Amino acid sequence: MLVLGGVAKLAAGDSAPGALARLGPAVLVPERFARPAMICCAAGEFALAAALVFADHPAARWLPVVFFSIATYVLWDLRKRRPDAGCGCFGDVSVAPVGLRSIARSAVLTAMAVLVALERVTGADLPALWSGTVAAWIAGYAALLLLLSPEVEELIDRVRYRAPCEQRRIPPGRALSRLKASAAWRAHRPMLAAEEPSDMWRELCWRFFTFPAKDGSEVVFAVYLSGRRPAVKAAVVPPDGAPAIADDSRVPISR
Amino acid sequence: MVFIPALWPTGINYRKVGEKPFILEEDFCPRTAHRHGNHTAPPLTACEAGNVGNATPYRAVDRRRMLAAAALGREVAPLEPAPGDVAPYGTVRGSIIDVSPHLIVVEDDAGEEHRLVIAPWATAWRGAPIAPAELPLRANVIIRALHGGTVADRVWADITRITGTIRSVSGNRDLTIELDCGPHRRPRSVVVPYRATGRIRVRHPQLEPGYLFDAIGMIDEGTTLALLPATSQPPYRANAVPPPPPAYRGVQPTISGTAVWGDFEEYGVAYPMLEPGDAGCEDAGVSCTGLPYLSLGSVLHVLNECDRRGNRLPIVACGCVAGRFCDRCLECGTSERGRIVELSTTAYVELGGELTKGCFNVRVGLG
Repeated sequence: MLVLGGVAKLAAGDSAPGALARLGPAVLVPERFARPAMICCAAGEFALAAALVFADHPAARWLPVVFFSIATYVLWDLRKRRPDAGCGCFGDVSVAPVGLRSIARSAVLTAMAVLVALERVTGADLPALWSGTVAAWIAGYAALLLLLSPEVEELIDRVRYRAPCEQRRIPPGRALSRLKASAAWRAHRPMLAAEEPSDMWRELCWRFFTFPAKDGSEVVFAVYLSGRRPAVKAAVVPPDGAPAIADDSRVPISR
Repeated sequence: MVFIPALWPTGINYRKVGEKPFILEEDFCPRTAHRHGNHTAPPLTACEAGNVGNATPYRAVDRRRMLAAAALGREVAPLEPAPGDVAPYGTVRGSIIDVSPHLIVVEDDAGEEHRLVIAPWATAWRGAPIAPAELPLRANVIIRALHGGTVADRVWADITRITGTIRSVSGNRDLTIELDCGPHRRPRSVVVPYRATGRIRVRHPQLEPGYLFDAIGMIDEGTTLALLPATSQPPYRANAVPPPPPAYRGVQPTISGTAVWGDFEEYGVAYPMLEPGDAGCEDAGVSCTGLPYLSLGSVLHVLNECDRRGNRLPIVACGCVAGRFCDRCLECGTSERGRIVELSTTAYVELGGELTKGCFNVRVGLG
């Protein structure tokens, strides 16, 4: 948890310039110190994580207790003083305002740190003590922490977001291969004079390809750019203007 | 009164990028002056007549529209204002042959003479507001005309707009700024005279290489002078445009924002959101508003929200420089952020825009 938190805080430093001002401990210090405060916090977390795993000294075990209990108090104070600020615990994923869930998570971490300190074990002892019950306890605590983390929902939302088809940059190669695999292409292929398109352009979610036909007219194909088997429409247009045949009546629209 | 749509060039000027066999470099004909509200369409110039025979039909703007409509089974709407729009103004563009307090005679690029009566309330601009009778002969003017192109309402002489990325700044009193105006226009060297440096510096706090610059000025004996800042300079560098906000709810049928004008020849709009492969422009597809992808030849319905004048205009150029700006227009209320379209000078004046103001609030839909 400490390592994850440290990494996320450092990563948040690179994002939008105003974002840091809205998160966690940075909110409670003057603006000039916001970025150094986050970096100090991150560095402290790395140090504590390393100490927990490797050092076999009472100080190394009680320092995380101090850290987490201070963090719990800070979050409680943040909630009272700046109800709109996120806790910043995991960088800019933690933008949701501090609620009882974040405070409870911090309290649980404090309790776990106290237990670890009282038991006088370090990370290096863990392989020796490994057993089924230990694994089950660790899994249970991890599940409890996940339950208390509002960041998980935010992450799922971010992964699921997809820009609408009109605003996504879609390279034409895939549309061209979809065209060449469609029934409309097979139906019009005998009348085409060339295999490569003479013109292509895109409008919203449709991409158009124009091929010259042997009799001097042009065949235009429209390929939809979204979906698993997108629609392909075709029309034959003579050089002087009005389309003679709109071919989606004769050829079924490929789906 | 029947509205005759203006001619636009019969070819498109593409840039050749890499190996793309379907993008060609083609000549286009310079935009000629025309009148709206007149029942006779202007004759084809020699350039356009030659091109009609030579241009391969599938390259033209209107050919693409017709092919797209045929493929999707929809009607091709004519290039005229939508029902409900106030009719656009007429424009006359050319150089002054003769001017007097009540009459102005202008010769356009085709050699045709236009005589316009100067309205009593008409004003002119050449670097500063002046009386129309004081305009110099042989100045290049754009005239906003009423009553079928016979009454001059507003005259702008030798006006130009300089938009681009700053390459270098030099000078102590008069500043000389070298600008990179994008891949489609040549780089420009601009002089900011001492009397205008205060205004320009206030709105452009970072006059340093890499930042954006946008000013309106005039061409005086071959020198481009920047006199009025067009907008507040964006605080980010030209290559660090903020991304658009995510559109969770889906796309809207119309988009609101800012419309600006640019000094380019073709009649129509420059649109920022083009696929780089289609437009032959590596910088295309950058905007700070959520714009949908379109291409050269698509037709947009552009509505000036300040006085409800609207028109259907084709996309004729890549608006990669305009898309880097993320400013609002304050002409009538505060507009949404972002430059959606960059209109050509004539199209901008027709929709009621004031060239010295530089922008108007716009609503754009697919026409």
